[in-house]
Amino acid sequence: MAEDPGLTAVEYLDRFFDELREEVRANPRLAARLVKALGGSVVFEDEAKAEVSNPYVVAASGSKPKFYSVFAGLKPGQLRQVLRDNNLATRIDMAGKSSAQLLDMLYERASSKVNERKSSMF
Amino acid sequence: MPGTIAAIANLKGGVGKSTTTVMLADGLAYFYGMNVLVLDLDAQANSSQMLLTEMGVQAAAEQGKSMHNLIGEFMAGRPGAAGPFIMPNAVSLEELRIAEEQDDRKGWISMLPAHPQLRLQELGLEEEWYTRSGTPKTLAEALAGFLRNAIEPLRPLYDIILLDCPPHLSPIARAGLALSDIFITPTIADSVSTWGTKQFSDWIGKYIAPDLPGRNFVVITRFRDTRYARQVASELREIYLSDRWFGPTIPESVHILNAMDRPAPDSYNTFRGKYGSVRGDVRRLAERFTDFLTHRTGTTWQRIRD
Repeated sequence: MAEDPGLTAVEYLDRFFDELREEVRANPRLAARLVKALGGSVVFEDEAKAEVSNPYVVAASGSKPKFYSVFAGLKPGQLRQVLRDNNLATRIDMAGKSSAQLLDMLYERASSKVNERKSSMF
Repeated sequence: MPGTIAAIANLKGGVGKSTTTVMLADGLAYFYGMNVLVLDLDAQANSSQMLLTEMGVQAAAEQGKSMHNLIGEFMAGRPGAAGPFIMPNAVSLEELRIAEEQDDRKGWISMLPAHPQLRLQELGLEEEWYTRSGTPKTLAEALAGFLRNAIEPLRPLYDIILLDCPPHLSPIARAGLALSDIFITPTIADSVSTWGTKQFSDWIGKYIAPDLPGRNFVVITRFRDTRYARQVASELREIYLSDRWFGPTIPESVHILNAMDRPAPDSYNTFRGKYGSVRGDVRRLAERFTDFLTHRTGTTWQRIRD
């Protein structure tokens, strides 16, 4: 881009923001990180909501219904992915489990970890 | 408030306490012209080694300028005065040395170093104290009183006094924590270190500082930019330590390791030469910590260098 002398500053930046916009559309995790870095708060829907949600952070809110509302819509494979990605279960732990059982495991283990790691004083 | 006492402490070892101590000392002296006193309470003597070199630590001990010499005064029943045990020049930055040569001592680092001898001496002290029916608690309290009196006359001379504390609760460590105004907690973005911050918060909150959150400045160190590390760092900020002040996240860096390895006691380097690619991290650490100090004490600090 810098080699094109015909671009105005606005056009130059437009290209950058277009690229960024496309990436944010395709990558909800990046979108969540950018929004967080800017101090904002936005709503993610359906699968993107579960993908950008950290089960520890949601469990720390202390609300079981909220936790289930975030993760209940996931398919078994996606739940397994969340459990694995967050070091909350091994393949052996998850073998033969139904969606409901995986969701319960996600909630119980994330809540338990948060309680173990949070100060009992503060 | 002159001479704010800040403990660099975490009950877990290997989280970058000494490195954070040295980066803060350099950053505060260089960017804000603060006069910094570093007291090394850790018998591993890592920050002493980083600031003075091994040869410098040994030479200081031979001159009787070491933490175990000061504790020796306590054991002898004499009132302590830390001044005579301090190495007045622990500066390794060329800019600060030149400023001093030009009689512009704005930004200086002095040190009361530790030596591995400190651990043996502490064991001897504990044995003697407990033989006389003392307890760990009374020993820590007596040491805290002694160190407070020893440091008090120095507080007007320094803007900040950094106590590099060992990663356990020895009587000297407890004494250092007891006399600190604020607590700097380096930690690593992994699960064992996260659990370590809980132990730290619980213990300090119960025995030393029930108002810990407002007095606690947290620095995530040795950060490897992986998805896992980002997640743990985010959990520390959002869940476990959400009520604390956070400094910048310091990357794991070969340049930091090199910066902590001073070639010789008479070796100086420019700030840029010493910190290279991590100099922005050191600047941000100093900036954030100064903001925290201003918030705590009401004193404002002007940047004197870019």
